[in-house]
Amino acid sequence: MRKYILQRSLAIVPLLLGISFFAFFLINIGPSDPAEVALRVNETVATKEAIASMRMELGLDKPFFARYGTWLTASLQGDFGKSYITKRPVFDEMSKAFPATLALAGISLLITICISFFVGVWCAVHEGSIGDKIVRGFIFIGTAMPSFWVGLLFMWLFAVKLNLFPTSGMDGFQSIILPAVTLSLTYICTYMRLIRNAMIQNQQENYVLYARVRGLKERTITKHIFKNSLQESLIALGMSIPKLIAGTVVVENIFAWPGLGRLCITAIFNRDFPIIQAYIVMMAVLFIVCNLLMDIICAFLNPRIRQGG
Amino acid sequence: MNFKKMVAFILIPLLCFIMLGCSGKDTGRKGDKNQLVYASTKDIRNINPHLYGGEMAAQNMVFESLLRNTDQGIMPWLAEKWDISEDGKEYTFYLRKDVSFTDGEPFNAQAVKSNIDAIIGNRERHAWLELVNQIDHGEIVDEFTYKLVLKQPYYPTLEELGLTRPFRFISPKCFINGTTKEGVNGYAGTGPWILSEHKDNQYAIFTANTNYWGVKPKLNSIKWKVTPDHQTILLALQKGEVDLLFGADGDMIDLDSFKSIQTDGKYKTVLSNPVASRAILLNAHQPITSDRKVREAFQYVVNKQAIAEGILNGSEAIADTLLSSTIPYCNVPLTPHTYSPEKAKQLLDAAGWIMESDGYRHKDGKLCEVTIYFNSNNAQERTISEYIQSDMKAVGVSLKIVGEEKQAFLDRQKTGEFDLQYSLSWGTPYDPQSYLSSWRIPAHGDYQAQKGIDKKAWLDDTIGKLLVEHDKAKRQEMYNEVLTYIHAENVYIPLTYSRTKAVYVSNLKGVAFNPSQYEIPFEKMYFEN
Repeated sequence: MRKYILQRSLAIVPLLLGISFFAFFLINIGPSDPAEVALRVNETVATKEAIASMRMELGLDKPFFARYGTWLTASLQGDFGKSYITKRPVFDEMSKAFPATLALAGISLLITICISFFVGVWCAVHEGSIGDKIVRGFIFIGTAMPSFWVGLLFMWLFAVKLNLFPTSGMDGFQSIILPAVTLSLTYICTYMRLIRNAMIQNQQENYVLYARVRGLKERTITKHIFKNSLQESLIALGMSIPKLIAGTVVVENIFAWPGLGRLCITAIFNRDFPIIQAYIVMMAVLFIVCNLLMDIICAFLNPRIRQGG
Repeated sequence: MNFKKMVAFILIPLLCFIMLGCSGKDTGRKGDKNQLVYASTKDIRNINPHLYGGEMAAQNMVFESLLRNTDQGIMPWLAEKWDISEDGKEYTFYLRKDVSFTDGEPFNAQAVKSNIDAIIGNRERHAWLELVNQIDHGEIVDEFTYKLVLKQPYYPTLEELGLTRPFRFISPKCFINGTTKEGVNGYAGTGPWILSEHKDNQYAIFTANTNYWGVKPKLNSIKWKVTPDHQTILLALQKGEVDLLFGADGDMIDLDSFKSIQTDGKYKTVLSNPVASRAILLNAHQPITSDRKVREAFQYVVNKQAIAEGILNGSEAIADTLLSSTIPYCNVPLTPHTYSPEKAKQLLDAAGWIMESDGYRHKDGKLCEVTIYFNSNNAQERTISEYIQSDMKAVGVSLKIVGEEKQAFLDRQKTGEFDLQYSLSWGTPYDPQSYLSSWRIPAHGDYQAQKGIDKKAWLDDTIGKLLVEHDKAKRQEMYNEVLTYIHAENVYIPLTYSRTKAVYVSNLKGVAFNPSQYEIPFEKMYFEN
């Protein structure tokens, strides 16, 4: 097991190096000159002198590989450079925005788990009932609705008409509910279906048949089915944590939530390259680490995987 | 754990969570008459008045200038009066004696000198503003008298000293290493508002400066609420969380929403006088549009009336000339091009573009096809392009429409790779001098589009000269020449004159406009009891 973990961890290094290179390379081949963009976003007319002074300030006068090398070495020490726009360290900008996104993603995850597991189990138990059909319809609609639209509908109904929540902003606990529910809607639908289908599949397994033959109570059987269905759903849910964090972009913009998604979208529009690069690398690390953790958990649960690996 | 327990374990936290959320507390803020909430899509960011990273409206609240641009012209502000030397190179300012910065530092000639020196010390960043290039040096005459010495008699000196940036004054105590170009350690100004709290990307609170030297604001504070989405802003207004929307060119509210709010009557709406010029640039440096006859034909193709009424909902006046005749030096007799497809057809025929059976014009086997580029974030520009496309089709010209992300659109301006492109002037008080001055900068679409006209070198040279022409009559003559020439070259299709828009709750009073579309006069606003 230890060997497996070590092997998988070492494989991350070239992967991250590759990602960091592509993050840097792709951004640098863009048609916009960052020096000019940095001037323009500050509403300064980009005269030749201003561009030259900005290029020097941003270190853009050095060759590509020299810049990559400097950036990579500094990044490994947590220094992702300074934002072209705010001139503040990227690390500070990201660490300021990260807790807001983490809170939003965390609460969305909680809502997702609470609702999808409960409703998913209920649907599997009552497969084919009217309730199950309604839920399946809801899953269909919920997955199809884009979050910016759902967000605005929720805002209109719950904030404006029913006056239950503030429309936007991060102002106390109340303000997180609408964005969290909006963000979790797609995940709720996905996991409800996953749980429901996993349980229905498990119902066909032989152990269920034997349990029935043994005359066990239906509730006990459901409990066993649920436990067995939970494994794969939990792994899928674990993988959705980085997705939730990366997927807050639209919701954060609609609800004026000052998190990473908004930081990133503003950086994209402003061509604030240091922030975009750091965001890409951070998301890559998050996905890779979560993937690795899930693989390790799988290997822990299933010895065949680690032997194969 | 039995199944019931597990269900309870899951559902109880969820219910608690929802209950906590719906605490029944009124989540609006109706009734607070001391604080005005202004919704903006952008954060105030760094409001150092000598740099360009912050929102101009916020900079204008905290920092003041020696003079002020008003509808009645230049008015005294931190300077009570001024003298201009005979040769127009020396400006002596007599400062107010009752002004201090909000950190207690006195506002005097020394403070003025430190500020202006700090601005000149970062000349490259301010090169867009000709005054910065024209300043030779500044002198302290006595404690409250400051003299500005120019290299040449630059005529818009007073206007440019009154702009929102960079000639605003921040306490010298806020300087870092004796300058402001590397940032400042505080925002102590002399203005009616003090920035008392700022949460990045969330909100900023400005409280009234109780020691303000001028007319004190009637409100206690202004909350600048950052809401990136336009629809969210409108919903927040409906809920009573926001009192005021204010902005130009669809950056706070699109015209359809503005119109529907106007018709609805629940909120007040107000439009400023025309401030800037909306036009289409015709690139004289591209194959088809390099022909002056073609450019002239395009002037007659566009149905401005339909655009002003159909798309802009009648909120903007039709522009016959690039700059409105109400702008200083721009009351020049020019013959407007009125919509006339027949005239356009004749001109295109004369230019050798002959209508063929496919419904389009051709010349030497080449299709008459041009492309218009616009900023894809601006829904209005897409619709205007589609209108123009159908107008063009009617005379046999194929117009391709390409929407691009803002930075890509600006890159295209710089390279000049466009046939047609949107253009919006900076508005008063930057028009006409700063706007015309910018035509000489290659990074501008104006420069690129004008590159193909015969007398571009003369044009740039004349603009340079008129800015330092001391004699007003001669200067007017030069403006006449420039504006007449550019009109005759048909490089611009003037569309409309844009206006700043404000939407606000009905008990808010004193909503008005400054000449600059980038400023918001919060100090005049108050709630009616």
